[in-house]
Amino acid sequence: MDRRNFLMGTASMFAVAPAFAQDAFPSHTITILCAFPPGGANDIVTRPIAAAMEDIFKHPVVVETKAGAGGQVGAQVAAVAKPDGYTLLSHNNGISGYAEVDKLFGRQPKTQRSDFVPLARLIADPVLLLVNADLPYKTAKDFIDDAKKRPGEIVYSSGGLYGATHLPVALLEKATGVAQMRHLPTNGGGPAITALLGNNAQMSTQTVSASLAHIKAGKLRALASFGAARSKALPDVPTLKELGFDVEYYLWVGLFAPKGTPASAVATLSAAIDKAAATEQFKATLDKLGLEGGYLNAAGFAKFWEADAKSSDIAVQLIGKQG
Amino acid sequence: MEVTLLNLMHGFSVAFQLDNLWYAFLGCLVGTLVGVLPGIGPLSGISILLPVTFGLNATQAVIMLAGIYYGSQYGGSTTSILMRIPGEASSVMTCIDGNAMARKGRAGSALCIAAVGSFIAGTFGVIMLTIVAPPLATIALRFGPPEYTALLILGLVFLAYMSSTSLVRTLLMACVGLMLGMIGIDNMTGHFRYSFDLVELGDGIGIVPVAVGLFGLGEILSTPSHKVTGEVISPKYRELLPNRQEWKESAWPIARGSVLGFIIGIIPGSAHVISSFLSYALERRVSKHPEEFGKGAVAGVAGPESANNAASTGAFVPMLALGIPTGPITAVLIGALMIHGVSVGPQLVNDHPDVFWGFVASMYVGNLMLLLLNLPLVGLFVSVLRIPYAYLYPLIIMFCIIGVYEVNHSVVDVWIMLIMGVVGYALRKFSFDPAPLVLGLVIAPIFEQSLRQSLIMSNGNYLIFFSRPISAALIAICIILLAMSAMTYMLKRKDWRDKLAEAEAGEPSA
Repeated sequence: MDRRNFLMGTASMFAVAPAFAQDAFPSHTITILCAFPPGGANDIVTRPIAAAMEDIFKHPVVVETKAGAGGQVGAQVAAVAKPDGYTLLSHNNGISGYAEVDKLFGRQPKTQRSDFVPLARLIADPVLLLVNADLPYKTAKDFIDDAKKRPGEIVYSSGGLYGATHLPVALLEKATGVAQMRHLPTNGGGPAITALLGNNAQMSTQTVSASLAHIKAGKLRALASFGAARSKALPDVPTLKELGFDVEYYLWVGLFAPKGTPASAVATLSAAIDKAAATEQFKATLDKLGLEGGYLNAAGFAKFWEADAKSSDIAVQLIGKQG
Repeated sequence: MEVTLLNLMHGFSVAFQLDNLWYAFLGCLVGTLVGVLPGIGPLSGISILLPVTFGLNATQAVIMLAGIYYGSQYGGSTTSILMRIPGEASSVMTCIDGNAMARKGRAGSALCIAAVGSFIAGTFGVIMLTIVAPPLATIALRFGPPEYTALLILGLVFLAYMSSTSLVRTLLMACVGLMLGMIGIDNMTGHFRYSFDLVELGDGIGIVPVAVGLFGLGEILSTPSHKVTGEVISPKYRELLPNRQEWKESAWPIARGSVLGFIIGIIPGSAHVISSFLSYALERRVSKHPEEFGKGAVAGVAGPESANNAASTGAFVPMLALGIPTGPITAVLIGALMIHGVSVGPQLVNDHPDVFWGFVASMYVGNLMLLLLNLPLVGLFVSVLRIPYAYLYPLIIMFCIIGVYEVNHSVVDVWIMLIMGVVGYALRKFSFDPAPLVLGLVIAPIFEQSLRQSLIMSNGNYLIFFSRPISAALIAICIILLAMSAMTYMLKRKDWRDKLAEAEAGEPSA
């Protein structure tokens, strides 16, 4: 065998290897980049689904935290990752809004929605209109009427500017005609609830799972839910739709693949996620966390995301530039 | 009180179950390792091990995970003392005098004092947690943005006492730190500031890469320029224990550090790091020999090390009593309990007495375990110093890089550390102290955020800082401290040239 033949042979061997790997997807470890720090909803939900996927694929599924800049770091890393199906992204509502916020500031968008292929929505946790229980508001109407009477005086806390607990307030203001309330941004859902408990803010929109313990303890009062239906854990809390306001908002967690991931890999992944989400183990974990499901498969999620992102864009425009 | 004791007895009966003892030990062991390895902080340690606890019950899980947390606070001082590399951000202050002690051949003694101080502070914290958790937690909630702002102003005033170099140099370093702290997304408007289009800089410059770079790498880079020709400070084994004089010098700092750390720990927010800074400044202020600080003062190790342990225990007060996280680590612990079906909130004590009291009791046991675990290891750790620099330093640089990368999985952080290493080298050459820079970096983002949050709450009225009792009291302390300094300064009636010369000579100005 002369040298050229040897080289050709070796080269073709390497050329064949990836093709073979594609047939047997996955052939090695899959990494899910989690764009939010441990302790948040993304981390808590992604770890059990990764464990369930591991059982299906018989290959390790590793959750790697890539947090920072309100989820933008993770989104950007995933957007430029090799689109081979071995790098996935766990993200939430935030992913819808970055491009619109960048547009607002006249910046070149770093990631766009088209950079990602939606695989599945793992959970959708409706947000609640919450007030400190020491305040006199007993119903959503009480609160809205008072907020209308005192424009710019009520302070609300959120987990961060243009974040998943800030946008619903903008949508609420638009639907109810309440004039601008004052925004108190904090560093995440936990601190935002702390601000509400300490009466440093009077109102906040936070998820059912994050606030349930405080509602049960009588420290916070839920006036309305942003969900389509009443929460099973809080059957007495009306939805905004029942009250005549057409607003719907959830904090959701979804899995994405980078744009350009082969269709076959996407199909294999979404089928596996379907199966993993249906396991008793995963459902039991959600139950314990006080999350009432909300799983959507790839097709359902794509449709939902389209509509949800539109209302997210509107909310960002409503908030506008803050200075 | 009687009820508390009865409950605590019940808690001990839970904590002393053989499997619970085992998980407490496991947590403490992992925590010690996590603390010793630079960079791998308690946050990544706990979140990596979280899935392992799925098979356990809630009590076992929280006992183990909490063990990792407070265990890591014990271990964090080790690398600071031996190699001047802060294992965690909270052990930055230990680098200064701890490492100076090691250079004088008192490494073993410094490690012992750190371990014993941590034990006393940890146990003190748990006792306070047992007795006064519920009432204290209510006070913690009253700590809103205005109170935070006032506390940080106090922190900035304390800065002046912090450094071993002159006041001018200290303030200069602090200003650089404060400016570096401005980098990142403006939380109030969404603008990217000084980020040069790097999304990774969106959350600002991390404390760990800066601290490891300035202290650890800066130290290593400047070593070849001293005359150290492979000479190693290898202490004799019988010199491992602190002598009587050192015990005496550390007693009060440990007591003060415990109280100070616990108080700062119960405040919700992310400023636990400042407990060790404040303790250091306090010790320097009350010391009869402030000139010894920076040259191996025992109080400079005992105080901050106790403070950071008491703070980590104090952090459990709002978490257990109110269900609110004081920082990222308690947030993960709350998440872990939720996964096990225990919702953390004000009713935790009533709904799950086994979990609550078992957990509290396990911390008494855990602190004792950590002391027994750490004291024998002192001999082993000190042996590291016997390794010649030629082999030790490349290894340290490798650990620094891996450790810093591991915190956020960010290459940008590694670059920051390397650049800060060069800066740290330059600062050493011009005898600047990097500690105020790190404190400035810690304070700047929290200070800015709480100041602006306060002004949002008051609609732009600065009187909010004086109309709320806690913040008014803190600001009054600041004013008194500044007035006292100004008085002594003016009473000296010196020509400004003398004062400048004195300041440059590095004497404390007050």
